[in-house]
Amino acid sequence: MLRIQNLKARIGEKEILHGLDLTVNAGEVHAIMGPNGSGKSTLASVLAGRENVEVTAGSVTYLGQDLLALAPEKRAAAGLFLGFQYPVEIPGVANLYFLRTALNAMRRARGEEEVDAMDFLAIAKEKLKLVKWDQSFVQRGVNEGFSGGEKKKNEILQMAVLEPKLSILDEIDSGLDIDALRVVADGVNALRAPDRAFLLVTHYQRLLDYVKPDRVHVMAAGKIVKSGGPELALELEKTGYAGWVPERHGAGARP
Amino acid sequence: MNRAEESLQAALARPAPAGEPGFLAALRRAGADDFGRLLLPTTRHEEWRYTSLAGLADLALAPAEPGAAALPAGFALPPAPRLVLVNGRIDPSRTDLAGLPPGARVGSLAAAIRERPGAVEPLLGRGPFGDHAFAALSDALFADGLHLELPAGVAVEAPIHVVHLTLAGAGQAVGAFPRSLLLLGEAARAVVVEHWTGSGSYLAAGLTQASLGERSALELVRVQDEAPGAFHVGLVGVSQLGGSRFTSRSVALGARLARVETRAVLAGEETENHVDGLYVASGSQVHDHFIHVDHARPHGLSREWVKGILDGSARGVFTGRVLVRAGAQKTDASQVSSNLLLSEEATVDTRPQLEILADDVKCSHGGTVGQLDEDALFYLRSRGLDRATARALLTWAFAAEMVERLPAPVREGVRRLVTARLPDGARLQEAA
Repeated sequence: MLRIQNLKARIGEKEILHGLDLTVNAGEVHAIMGPNGSGKSTLASVLAGRENVEVTAGSVTYLGQDLLALAPEKRAAAGLFLGFQYPVEIPGVANLYFLRTALNAMRRARGEEEVDAMDFLAIAKEKLKLVKWDQSFVQRGVNEGFSGGEKKKNEILQMAVLEPKLSILDEIDSGLDIDALRVVADGVNALRAPDRAFLLVTHYQRLLDYVKPDRVHVMAAGKIVKSGGPELALELEKTGYAGWVPERHGAGARP
Repeated sequence: MNRAEESLQAALARPAPAGEPGFLAALRRAGADDFGRLLLPTTRHEEWRYTSLAGLADLALAPAEPGAAALPAGFALPPAPRLVLVNGRIDPSRTDLAGLPPGARVGSLAAAIRERPGAVEPLLGRGPFGDHAFAALSDALFADGLHLELPAGVAVEAPIHVVHLTLAGAGQAVGAFPRSLLLLGEAARAVVVEHWTGSGSYLAAGLTQASLGERSALELVRVQDEAPGAFHVGLVGVSQLGGSRFTSRSVALGARLARVETRAVLAGEETENHVDGLYVASGSQVHDHFIHVDHARPHGLSREWVKGILDGSARGVFTGRVLVRAGAQKTDASQVSSNLLLSEEATVDTRPQLEILADDVKCSHGGTVGQLDEDALFYLRSRGLDRATARALLTWAFAAEMVERLPAPVREGVRRLVTARLPDGARLQEAA
């Protein structure tokens, strides 16, 4: 589904990804773990098409297409979803309207029929159960006044509505209490399917107690430095990242 | 003198309508004299420094004739109770004042002057617009407008709509000077919605004066959707007694050049004064908001907040002046001007002016001028919205905060007017 080869990228003058390789197949859940500053979030940004990150070398193939050639909205229409580490607040745009606009934008892009307001309400009601929300959350402005946990749940709700093929969740677990973490994990697990894949970008192993990954990768200084099965996450939990991070990058600033 | 001044002088030189009471004749004479002395303001006037009337100066304005001409395309009359003025005169065929409670006097100012001159005379001064050229013109040239008088305790629940249509014929610019007088007795309540629209090339210069009795509440909504060839000057004068609450909500969309001047005197204790503004300007439009709040007594609260959306080479001007007089202790005043620039060429000048003569007050001002947030744009695009739709949605979101504050019966109509003005607003027909 996703093949990343020798990916190099920079923000401004600072090169952050130094030749990254990763392959994710349909049906798989991959976790990318690593310390702050290792380039995890930059990788997520490159995949979603954020314009402040410049790709200087390498390639990314997604479902047979050159992903890097597509505008962010085309990537979304092709089934790629980024769950943001810091979801943006948009007061003045009701969450429900936003969700329907997003769904219809993608349906239109794929040549599918748009969903009208009534039908969408039925879809939204069903998906709200996943995050254990009542309707008041979708009447409010997008993420307006939401707590950190509520914002992350809203990302999961969006993912559930949009039903992407590849979901990249950037530190979806950060700042969550255990109940919110369970809701987020249940949301991911509910969407797991043979034709879908997930890339969980996380600092901690905790999320992986609830979402069992097929593969775990350790990222340090802009590269994948080790890959393994779920046991690798447990190992990291014990030993920390110290052994994986080259000295000179150890105190590297976050991108 | 420029062409506009010459044509206005010619109008001022005509004999006043027959049968007007003596005080009105005197008022008109003083207005004509004052205008002859003042003439139109230029950018040399400090209060008009950023707003040039040079375009207006080129127009020869004929006095607006009464007419029952067709409504501008796309404009539907609001529900009753409504007063419809065409070129500054009441159009009885379109006016419908049904649905008013007993005791409420709502109707024609000209009729009120005819029928009860003694009651109207003391209120018909220029108020806070003493040396204002457009107020002088109003005194000299006004024909009619809304007269609203609510005795103590009378509340009008339905919004009272006042439609100001200015319809200029082909090739002939006109001037209209509607005048409205709103008088609320103790604890009276009303919502008045002024709609300004028209066709052709014209000057619509309105003066609305409101006098709020103790603990009364008035919400004045102005929806300015004038024709692209129009010059709009709206003067709103407010005097407030203790415990009263005045709320002005202005939505300014149309006209070549539009200026709304609100001047309020908080003459009683514990008064509240709220002035909200939203304007959307594109092309070479100029939108100017001038707000002056005079805190004369203690425990007053004022909130001014004007939001502007500017595209093309449009210009916005915000002047917020707060005066806190000695003795107006515990005044709580704030003014904010927030502006969204959608193009490189659009500009905005904001001038907060605080003059504080009391020592125990809370006064603040803030201004922002910014572009659409790139993080928010990326967020929307990552959810499948193309760039144009994402921009339109974020622009609408900026405006929505003000539209939400409008009284429910007018919100939907204004929402449609605003989205129609936004770049790519057609993509938002279902928003909110």
